[in-house]
Amino acid sequence: MTRRIQQVVIVGADAPAWMAAAAFQSSVGAAGVRVRVIELPTLIQRADVYSALPELAGFHNRIGLDEDLLFSLCKAVPVAGRRYSNWSGDAPPFILGYDRASPPAAGLGFTQLWIKGRQRGLRTDFENFSLASVAAKAGRVPTTAGSADLHAAFGCNLDAGAYSGLLRHFTIRGGVEAKAATIANVEIEGDRIIAIILNDGERVEADLFVDASGARAALMSHMPGAELESWREWLPCDRMLVASARGLKPLPAFSQISASRHGWVGLFPLQDRTAVVAAYDSRETSDQALLEDLPTLANMPIGGDAVVSDLNQGIRRRAWIGNCVAIGDSAFSLEPLDGAQLHIVHYCISQLMTLFPVEAGAFPDAQLYDRVIRRLAVNLRDFQLAHYKLNRCFDMSFWDGCRDASVPETLQRKLDIFTARGRVPLYDDETFQEQDWESLFIGHGLMPQSYDPRVDAIPEQEHIALVQARLNDVVGLVEGMAPVDDFIASVNAQQAPGAKAVG
Amino acid sequence: MSEPLDIVILGGGTAGWMAAAALVSLIPQTRCRVRLIESEEIGIVGVGEATFPEIRNFNDAIGIDEAEMMRATKAAFKLGIQFVDWGFKGSRYIHPFGVHGPVGMDHIFHHRWLRARGLGLKSELQDYSFAAQAARDCRFELPQTRSTKIDSAYTYAYHFDAGLYAVYLRSLAEQRGVVRTEGKVNDVIQDPETGDIRSLLLESGETISGDFFIDCSGFRSLLLAKTLGVGWEDWSKWLPCDRAVAVPSERDELSPYTRSTAMEAGWRWRIPLQHRTGNGYVFSTSFIDEDQAAASLMRSLETEALAEPRMLKFQAGRRVLNWANNCVAIGLAGGFLEPLESTSIYLIQVAIMHLVQLLPGRSIDPRLRDEFNRLIDLQYERIRDFLILHYKLTSREDAEIWRYCAAMDVPESLTRKIELFRHSAIIERYKDGLFPPTSWLSVFIGQGLLPEGYSPLADTMPGESLVAHMDAFRADMLDRVEEMRRHERFIDLYCAGEPAVAPMGSEMRL
Repeated sequence: MTRRIQQVVIVGADAPAWMAAAAFQSSVGAAGVRVRVIELPTLIQRADVYSALPELAGFHNRIGLDEDLLFSLCKAVPVAGRRYSNWSGDAPPFILGYDRASPPAAGLGFTQLWIKGRQRGLRTDFENFSLASVAAKAGRVPTTAGSADLHAAFGCNLDAGAYSGLLRHFTIRGGVEAKAATIANVEIEGDRIIAIILNDGERVEADLFVDASGARAALMSHMPGAELESWREWLPCDRMLVASARGLKPLPAFSQISASRHGWVGLFPLQDRTAVVAAYDSRETSDQALLEDLPTLANMPIGGDAVVSDLNQGIRRRAWIGNCVAIGDSAFSLEPLDGAQLHIVHYCISQLMTLFPVEAGAFPDAQLYDRVIRRLAVNLRDFQLAHYKLNRCFDMSFWDGCRDASVPETLQRKLDIFTARGRVPLYDDETFQEQDWESLFIGHGLMPQSYDPRVDAIPEQEHIALVQARLNDVVGLVEGMAPVDDFIASVNAQQAPGAKAVG
Repeated sequence: MSEPLDIVILGGGTAGWMAAAALVSLIPQTRCRVRLIESEEIGIVGVGEATFPEIRNFNDAIGIDEAEMMRATKAAFKLGIQFVDWGFKGSRYIHPFGVHGPVGMDHIFHHRWLRARGLGLKSELQDYSFAAQAARDCRFELPQTRSTKIDSAYTYAYHFDAGLYAVYLRSLAEQRGVVRTEGKVNDVIQDPETGDIRSLLLESGETISGDFFIDCSGFRSLLLAKTLGVGWEDWSKWLPCDRAVAVPSERDELSPYTRSTAMEAGWRWRIPLQHRTGNGYVFSTSFIDEDQAAASLMRSLETEALAEPRMLKFQAGRRVLNWANNCVAIGLAGGFLEPLESTSIYLIQVAIMHLVQLLPGRSIDPRLRDEFNRLIDLQYERIRDFLILHYKLTSREDAEIWRYCAAMDVPESLTRKIELFRHSAIIERYKDGLFPPTSWLSVFIGQGLLPEGYSPLADTMPGESLVAHMDAFRADMLDRVEEMRRHERFIDLYCAGEPAVAPMGSEMRL
């Protein structure tokens, strides 16, 4: 074996850079690898929000970050899911809840029982059997006890600036060296970065460079073979606006994503304000027109902190080239429609950790990383794309175009098999699991034409009893959950003033 | 509700009766009616006396009592496969049904082991596998279900008489409503426009019509290949064996593992059952002739032969489609992979379970058909790669077949797995496929591919503590293994059949 990797340099800013630094420091850092951050200027605007999936808690646990701090320092609001409204014409909104895999009923997936029930006249909507969705509607935080068969979890809306600040503080206190700078030049030989030259003239060398700089891809964009493949043919939104609106009282237990004429508008509740995010197609509307429409679309006054930016949705041809690895948005970019932004960062970091090079000179792991990240990206893109494809906003040119467009084979197969049999084929490296896809498809009005034939082996009375029991279980569990405001107050009350403050 | 789907299964071997038993047990007769046609004149191949742990899911799903099934099929337990002389002459390793190291640590354990070896540790990787240790000691008990205990780190399968398993399933299937017809097919009637199969004309003159047909006719592939003309994809350049010669011998030690010994032109199996030992030699006629192979097998027997050796011809590969028109092939009618990793019954099972979930109505929904074919292809290709690995990863130079295999080009999907492991000890995972990383690890290491490097994540602990940790784990594990019952004793208590002086079935078994 040749030389071990001795130094990793992370170039970037905000949560992605600090997440990577904290993760490396707490793992290979303990094996003697030096972790250094070159901190680029932040991309975060005052109004920005991170809407995180429940899996982020696992990451915090791994790096040893106390989750309670999110509530006291990052204005966190726990949410049980995301509500999608206006995507299906006049149909009522639906909630994609953060459910864990639903336990089987009579040995079969509960969804199969529901499909048959629906065909026989069952009127209760699918989301009423989702613990997380029902909790979300009731404004409660799903924290289920271990004894229950049904499980749900909460994700968090986080003030992006405060969360990045918390992670930065945590990471630096953990011994990571950081330097604020900009990059003047990247010296590349073949497919290797020899050094990066900072604005103050410092020359930074490393065995491995991690690009955590977000969509600007401060390192990756210099690498040969890292061209961005655009996904605009499928995902038409190319502009994004963020702004703040007043806080909601009482706090809801979900974020809301509403389809608008030219894209969508998301409301993400935080403790002291509501983050408003809009994604839209610049061919359909201008920034100015959108901003003027926003109070109507959001149904509340919009603050003066609105900022617009470009959205370049797509994936770099490779995510690991030579000694440079892209994580998060520098590997691939998607609009924040399904709350996967930090999850992508987390997943990339986990993969990089699993594939952490055994030596400084050769990186055969790069190809596997590329494949894994591409599969992750394609699966997530397909999930987002399904919202567009399944829309029922008729007689609006933007939405008609989305509905009529053909979709990639990977998604078409999921749509086909779900339509034909109520099953969703899952591929390797899926963020969203079967229950998520089912909720998505059914929520948007896609109804399976048939169900697993084994369901017919359940006698009718037993079938009815199983369905009723599931409904009762859900209601019973939700009754025991705390409302959002109580939950936050009780977490914050447990933290004696100052005792848990960082530092 | 519409009329039930009339399903006709052609062939009553292991595949046919597994399919019949599953369909009749899982799907009510209001949805489908199952008929099975078989001829006692046609012998069955009786694929697989050795199984993979997944078979327990199948048996559980259709409501089979384990002890009863084991009594009826003279079954014994199986904790893995021992490979002898694979990779290099004198090598001996067990591919266990379970992880190496403590539960939940399998992503990092082998990296730690590699590091510890660099620090002077002498133990082999399999010394840290609970299943491998219990197998080596000929001990067996049912695994604990508490997921953190040392003795929950394994699972198990069976060695059984596949002919008796088919008989057992037949009786269960007939009791539950499958109609069996004795007879040979003379002609297949197709729809002149669509080519769909409409009915089978038997020698007796009887016509059996159906909506959907399951071809379990074995290598002949009477419906899928002969009638519907579905082509064959030949994999013999990677898996050159094309014959098996099999012979039962008297029972000897009831070891809870299959043994596979690499030979001069292929490999030889030994499968201990309650009433006899199954033996066979899988070989390639490019490297040895049939008579020599049979003689070689007979010489190798450890107990007295109970019958004359029987010869079986095959080719590695699969049908380009396993579902065409209104016909699905299950078992040998759809493809063949040699029984090196006991995958034949697994491939039958997985085809049945996919078919149950994707069962069509009277008019075939092409979306369901295409999905079935996609899933089956994934299974075949991933098993294929794993089997090729055993041949490719050899440094034996004492026989032509091993020199050929070491030099042959293998599928790109396999090459990259080997190269990544060689360099970094990393194993790519997949969702739809039988073999988990721990299986790949066993074969890589067992056949002598020691990686050049290991993950720096294994470097976080001081060297002495690492070695001490590994020693302590191993001592605990061995203590627990020693408390287990002997495998023979466990069988006696749990599922012993009548003491049998076994009449040999006429069938050949793999």
